[in-house]
Amino acid sequence: MAVDPLSSTLFALSDPTRRAILARLASGDATVMDLAAPYDMSLAAVSKHLKVLETTGLISRSKEAQWRRCHLEAAPLRAVSAWLEDYRRFWDRSLDSLAEYLDVMQRPPRPRTKKRHGSAAHRTKRKDPLR
Amino acid sequence: MNTHIESPAGEPIIVMSRTFDAPREVVWLAFTDAKHVAKWYGGFGFSSPVCEIDVRPGGIWRHVMRTPSGADYAMEFVYVEVVRPEKLVWKNTTHGKEPRPGQLNVVNTVTLEDAGKRTKWKLVALFDSVADRDQAMKNGFSTVITQGCEKLNDTVKTVAAVMEAT
Repeated sequence: MAVDPLSSTLFALSDPTRRAILARLASGDATVMDLAAPYDMSLAAVSKHLKVLETTGLISRSKEAQWRRCHLEAAPLRAVSAWLEDYRRFWDRSLDSLAEYLDVMQRPPRPRTKKRHGSAAHRTKRKDPLR
Repeated sequence: MNTHIESPAGEPIIVMSRTFDAPREVVWLAFTDAKHVAKWYGGFGFSSPVCEIDVRPGGIWRHVMRTPSGADYAMEFVYVEVVRPEKLVWKNTTHGKEPRPGQLNVVNTVTLEDAGKRTKWKLVALFDSVADRDQAMKNGFSTVITQGCEKLNDTVKTVAAVMEAT
């Protein structure tokens, strides 16, 4: 199954070590050695995390030299941030609307104005909005 | 913003809560009866040319949302749990098709708490871990599968912190 980019980004972000790596890279580019330093973790393990981040497009790595520097790419994060904001806004907007509609649902039936033609028997019954 | 939003630690979820001035049974109807849902879903300026709801576990909620500019968005959800009038769980469904780009699998749980003439409403949005699991398989990181998806709270914080720094 193909996974959309947003899910991939969220997956990459789902690991605390990877989040810490991104947070570190936000303050500047770094090598694998730099990134591994705070952890009790092998370089190979850190490299695996970097591979995930690189596959997802969250980081890029320079090609030159033996100690390739990792660089944070903000675009995928922007997509996540935008999605969360949209989700939030959608519900906030909908719930404002719902709050108002709930008032309408609970409004007592208005007395019907008399029609020019027909008797009371012909009047259409007001629909109970709760039914 | 009238909706209270939080992301509790330790779980991959967004929680929103709000109190409505209506009894629980009314709020339940507003959420589960197509003719009512069509009236508010999407918010002011949005309309719902299609809203079909089959509110039972496995039942489908088919919805077309029209934006103020006239663009239509077709959505389809499946109900996972239906406990009238207190709990409603639904998630997106693609009928086995691949999700559209940008589409996330989210499991939404709404709970309604009776507060007399008012109702405490709570939405918990859980990001479906199936996609995460698939991605993990694809990347060959079997160890992370057991971890499941992490707390969205930290994700949100990281996103915010990194965005600020860049």
